[in-house]
Amino acid sequence: GRRKRARARHKPCELRQLQVSVSDLGLGYQSDETVLFRYCSGTCEAAARSYDLSLKSMRSRRKIRKEKVRARPCCRPLSYDDDVSFLDAYNRYYTVNELSAKECGCV
Amino acid sequence: LASIFSGMDPATTSKSNHCLDAAKACNLNDNCKRLRSGYISTCSRELSATEPCSRRKCHKALRQFFDRVPGEFTFRLLFCSCKDPACAERRRQTIVPSCSYEDKDKPNCLDLRGACRADHLCRSRLADFHANCQATFQSLTSCPGDNFQACLGSYVGLIGFDITPNYVDASTTSITISPWCSCKGSGNLEEECEKFLRDFTENPCLRNAIQAFGNGTDVSLAPKN
Repeated sequence: GRRKRARARHKPCELRQLQVSVSDLGLGYQSDETVLFRYCSGTCEAAARSYDLSLKSMRSRRKIRKEKVRARPCCRPLSYDDDVSFLDAYNRYYTVNELSAKECGCV
Repeated sequence: LASIFSGMDPATTSKSNHCLDAAKACNLNDNCKRLRSGYISTCSRELSATEPCSRRKCHKALRQFFDRVPGEFTFRLLFCSCKDPACAERRRQTIVPSCSYEDKDKPNCLDLRGACRADHLCRSRLADFHANCQATFQSLTSCPGDNFQACLGSYVGLIGFDITPNYVDASTTSITISPWCSCKGSGNLEEECEKFLRDFTENPCLRNAIQAFGNGTDVSLAPKN
């Protein structure tokens, strides 16, 4: 319901994980191998810096108008996990790097 | 049923495949995943048109994988049981044979044994294999002391050395294991060569140990931590 959704939205930025097949990654590989996909999710409200507040202020005072600026930190990987290798449906091996997040933060 | 499946897309035919399950178990364990991709990337990295890979580095990475990852993961990858060719091919591909196993020409098995004996670690691993997988008529399983575990462990111990054994094909009905060598050109040592090669290719202890593991009838494997 709505309350559950609201609560999920307010979770702070953190590492989450999913078990997915390599084909589901959408990278163009055809393989039934399952890999652990770790990603960053959550809000960054508590992580606003003076930078963000000032940027917001500049924007509202129309000192910054045409440029695309982001005045809110966002939840992104700070570092990535080790390489992942797998055998595809045609018996070829592939190695993918920076597939999974290792550490998350509000940047 | 087999004929229905054989015409399908290769990506969808490998459902309920024990070798695929073993790869999943490894990928979900950080240590196994890291060391597996370590040897896979090393063994499948092309150096030049004439040199498909660095065999020396590939062997080293394979030894690290089998030395540092517990048998509960590595044995499952190597000895998974298969009902279809896609599964058996995946099992054969476990050690990246194009780099770690196959070569332009097949050396004589006794020459290969000689090369192994020149390396102290390979020499002792080969001695372990002969001791633990020696087919015997004195036990029910054909293995010394009915110890499948010891035989499989010493088989794994040979991977990443000159004598690296592997499945010779993707057959699901008969399991044939061999190092990459033949007994051609053995001269008057032909008999000795054949005897050495048969310890891999026609060894009922090794075959029973692999089959028992794949079928889950060998219950003695306690997770090694």
